[in-house]
Amino acid sequence: MSAVLDARGIGMTFRNGDELTEVLKGVDLKLEPGELAALLGASGSGKSTLLSIVGLLLRPTLGTIIIGGQHVEGLSELERAQFRNQRLGFIFQFHHLLPDFTATENVAFPAAAPAGGITPAMRSRARELLVRVGLSDRMDFPATRLSGGQKQRVAIARALMNKPDLVLADEPTGSLDRVAAEQVLDLMREVNREDKTTFLICTHDEHVAARCTRRVTLKDGRVEGVLASQ
Amino acid sequence: MFALSVARRYLLSNPAQTGLLISGVALGVMAFVFITALIQGLAIRLTDDVTANSAHVSLEPPTRVARVLPSPDADVESTAIVSTFQRRQIRAWSSTVALLRSETSVSAISPQISGSAFLVKGEAVAPVAVTAIDPLGLDAISPISTEIVSGDSGLGADGILIGVRLAENLGLSAGQPVLFRTDRGVDRLLIVRGIFQTGLQSLDERVAYLSIQTARPLFLLPEGVTNIEVKLVDPARAREFAAFMAEATGLRATSWQQKNANLEGALAAQAQTGTLIQIFSLISVLIGIASALSLSANRRRGEVGIMRAFGVSKRFIAAVFVLQGLLIGMVGASLGCVGGFALCSWLATMTKPDGTTALPIAPNEGGYVAVFLLTTLGAVLASVIPARSAARLDPLEAIQQ
Repeated sequence: MSAVLDARGIGMTFRNGDELTEVLKGVDLKLEPGELAALLGASGSGKSTLLSIVGLLLRPTLGTIIIGGQHVEGLSELERAQFRNQRLGFIFQFHHLLPDFTATENVAFPAAAPAGGITPAMRSRARELLVRVGLSDRMDFPATRLSGGQKQRVAIARALMNKPDLVLADEPTGSLDRVAAEQVLDLMREVNREDKTTFLICTHDEHVAARCTRRVTLKDGRVEGVLASQ
Repeated sequence: MFALSVARRYLLSNPAQTGLLISGVALGVMAFVFITALIQGLAIRLTDDVTANSAHVSLEPPTRVARVLPSPDADVESTAIVSTFQRRQIRAWSSTVALLRSETSVSAISPQISGSAFLVKGEAVAPVAVTAIDPLGLDAISPISTEIVSGDSGLGADGILIGVRLAENLGLSAGQPVLFRTDRGVDRLLIVRGIFQTGLQSLDERVAYLSIQTARPLFLLPEGVTNIEVKLVDPARAREFAAFMAEATGLRATSWQQKNANLEGALAAQAQTGTLIQIFSLISVLIGIASALSLSANRRRGEVGIMRAFGVSKRFIAAVFVLQGLLIGMVGASLGCVGGFALCSWLATMTKPDGTTALPIAPNEGGYVAVFLLTTLGAVLASVIPARSAARLDPLEAIQQ
């Protein structure tokens, strides 16, 4: 089976006036299907930039990226948006749910927007996912009436809506208390284990990294080490 | 359409703000409707005042001018000299009247002999503009019989109707004789049958009516008429109809608009002023919509960013904001039209102590379709800038904020 993610020689340089800042210096990263990988590193190590590049939110200065067997460097803006919609899932530190929509509608949104509306099939899948993340009793609650942990669980369900090849999570527990953070981590592990969904979790929290199957550590824009755990 | 559903949700999420925004649009539209109805009402009233007591089209003999006549001899030219003593008249007026009767746009026809004369009472002499008409068609152009304040409107063979100010000037009352002297030097004693009061000084002081049969020997016109006055079903078409009649008969045809060029100029200037006010009220509405949607787009940066992150197209994001503009415009314009009509209808019922209407407002002439379409279209255009700004948002930047 081919790798879900195969990023090679990723370089990223930002220009700020006359000043050039090289954030990533030839990073290689490969994820096999079903992996639950943690991307570790201190602040400024380049981990968030790498996650954004892998998530097609940033174009790298150098390197090639293959996701699910497809080269993505040459895609147009529209094709990148479609690729993100169909093949990638995102979980951010701040859930950014749509406050005027219910939990079900929020989960269904990534499928509904390109299709022009929420079909019964989409609604049904969204509800299945909400049951899966333990929110069967909150399906029709407006997002504003959910707790922080519940909102992040809705965000996880939303990330899974289009059955992505790869879910990218940026500090997914960063804004939660310990109990909620544990529940969210358990949930991601469960989905990874049962559905074989591949996760790349960007974190600076050793506790989070310890729950993943692989740790990739970045330092000064380079991969410092790759460690398989458990 | 899912974008429409999202736009509606966004608007309903903050009912107070949306309500204020729609109220602002509705007030702007109401101002537009009020100004339009007032200007149209004023134009209608002024036009009615002018056209109610005068002809919409006047037909007269063509102006006679001296002209060069061609000659068979190459170098010789001759000039035709037109007599200015000979009275200008329409001899074949019956055929012109027949043509007018065949036109459905004509509502009244009045062949007339118009001329100048003097009324002499003792030592008092007053010049008058004479309108000689068929007594049966006395009210065809101006409703004189309804404005008789003394005597009656029956002209008979020796009767004359004069205005109230003229009667005062000459010390005349209904039933008294007065010497009538034409500009042709013909005298005849006539009886003042009735005295009218139109409220227009020029008519009440200077105009006298008599029967066309009485006038023929006085003005030395045994057959012809000097002019044919015409009223139309739609006074606004007078210019067009005058051109048609001039072409068809060779007569000089003058519309009421041509006779009242100053009024037309004043109405045009008034309409231009109104247009400026309308434009400014629409601009203020559109600025309100654009700024409110810009604030909304800014407030929802995070949501828009996450939508863009999970692949929702720029077009969808833009559509959400443009549709908000469309909904605000449509609802605001509808409420403004209804409110404007209600306001104008109420104002139209207000009267002055003398019983006349206080404001010459025409509630049905509020330009409702135009303001609805302009506001809706303008609201869509006003939402384009915030929509583009939201659609172009860098998802990464928006999410990280």
